[in-house]
Amino acid sequence: MSPTITVQQLSKTYQVPEREGGFGAAVRSFFKRKYKDVKAVQQVDFKIEQGEVVGFLGPNGAGKTTTLKMLSGLLHPTGGKAEVLGFTPWELRPDYLRSMTLVMGQRNRLSWDIPAADSFLLNQAIYRIPDDEYKKTYKELDELLELEPLMKKPVRNLSLGERMKCEIAAGLLHRPKVLFLDEPTIGLDITGQVRIREFLREYNKRTGATILLTSHYMADVTALCERIIIIHHGNLKYDGGISDLSKKIAPFKLIGMMLTEPDSHDLSKYGEPVQNEEDAAKKYIQVKAEDVTRVTSKLLADLPIHDITITDPPIEDVIEQAFNQ
Amino acid sequence: MYLIFQRLWQVNWAEQWQYRANMLMYLLYWLVSPIMYLAVWTSIANANGSVNGFTANDFITYYMTLLICDQVTSNIVIHIFGYKIQDGTLSGELVKPIHPMLTNALINNIAFKVLMILGFLPIWVILFFLFKPDFSSVALSGVLLSIPAMILGFFVSYMISAAITALAFWTTRVYSIHEFYFALILLFSGQFVPLPLMPKLVQDIAQYLPFQLFMYYPIQLILGKLSTEQIIQGFVSGVIWLGISTVLFNWVWKNGVKRYSAVGA
Repeated sequence: MSPTITVQQLSKTYQVPEREGGFGAAVRSFFKRKYKDVKAVQQVDFKIEQGEVVGFLGPNGAGKTTTLKMLSGLLHPTGGKAEVLGFTPWELRPDYLRSMTLVMGQRNRLSWDIPAADSFLLNQAIYRIPDDEYKKTYKELDELLELEPLMKKPVRNLSLGERMKCEIAAGLLHRPKVLFLDEPTIGLDITGQVRIREFLREYNKRTGATILLTSHYMADVTALCERIIIIHHGNLKYDGGISDLSKKIAPFKLIGMMLTEPDSHDLSKYGEPVQNEEDAAKKYIQVKAEDVTRVTSKLLADLPIHDITITDPPIEDVIEQAFNQ
Repeated sequence: MYLIFQRLWQVNWAEQWQYRANMLMYLLYWLVSPIMYLAVWTSIANANGSVNGFTANDFITYYMTLLICDQVTSNIVIHIFGYKIQDGTLSGELVKPIHPMLTNALINNIAFKVLMILGFLPIWVILFFLFKPDFSSVALSGVLLSIPAMILGFFVSYMISAAITALAFWTTRVYSIHEFYFALILLFSGQFVPLPLMPKLVQDIAQYLPFQLFMYYPIQLILGKLSTEQIIQGFVSGVIWLGISTVLFNWVWKNGVKRYSAVGA
């Protein structure tokens, strides 16, 4: 079977008007505008199989949203190809639009002034969902997201988290085969984030939908995705399993130690000392993966250690390192 | 498709009711100029006996009918859609499998219109008793024919405004372009002055423009002032203009969406 999403050499360059401040520049730019090319996405390649949940990571301006918009059809690329479910997204074919969904943070699929229930019924008609199927899907969504109490209130009277739940549900009523989620948990509190995450995992399991999501919250990604794609300055930096990431990008381990008189020892000759705010009682050093055994035995021989742990560095730090490469 | 329009209607109708006070303001604003023209022309005609053969009653019936035609044929698509292109809210609608301008915005506009007409009817009745027009020239056939004529006029006006609104894909100055367009309507539709009182040149130009379909043509139809030939001519020109405006809109829209998706939706 061919992959659900195929992206080949996909590129997007924006032309951004540019001018200096001041009156003279304003007048000049009125007659002749200068444009600067901004390469948002540069020749990105990847394939996503049906049922995969892939996390799309990168700092602000890395090109994540641009890629997502191209895949959902909102943007024309400047180069390259993309195919989703056999469609070229930016042709905006109704058959394609009916089989995918794009949920973008705060962008509303719901009408602000009326209860979400009415917007849901409208979506049922727009996506041509038969009554019995609609009822079934709604019941499932309600089970997972507890929508019922929210349905009768005008959307503007809902809290941010409640609104996000309704937004996501509205985007899933037609049981899309592909989900593009741009920051699905943005602005939510921890419980809200956990809810949405659990929901997405369950939805993926039940329907076998393919999910591509971007998020600033690393927890979203670690909880949901087995595979991540890292993009930085429009370039693909990493594509692979989340567990392999630290091996490839940052082949380091963290050694944590409980010491008597913790501040009287110079740890820098064993490895690079690292701060760990969550666990200030311990001292941490970072060492290369292949040196772990050697350094550990040396540490145990040299220092008064009560307790020692060896862990992978936090995924945030690894990704941070990937960006800085 | 019928279900889509039905549900769109439910949503938009409920939505419009949320803005009743706003709607009343809009209605009053809308009524000011035609009522002023009505008052001014009537008093001039009263003072002089008539203006180029137009008696005071001619003016009263003309403007009382214009108030209705204007309500039916005008549109507010620039206000309900222009900002969506500029602030990017259109993105959410573009990824839905229905045409945003020809479904949601259209129904929203019609819901707005129906509510406006409901608010406007009592005002019309009050004006009726104030000015006591003599509508004896009105025949049922003219009134019945005016209904499809006004609907046709509305769709022509909607498509032209939609095409202008879609210019927002290129320029942020789309509101001033639309104001200019309103000035053309004022001049050539028979809103400012009944067309026969306009200079010959304006009347000749008006023949080749769609604007009289919005007001002058249905007004004359209701007032029973058109020959059979003129009635047919009006409908034919309405259909032709609907074709032209639809093609124009589609072209602007298609290229606009392409541009929107090129610069960063």
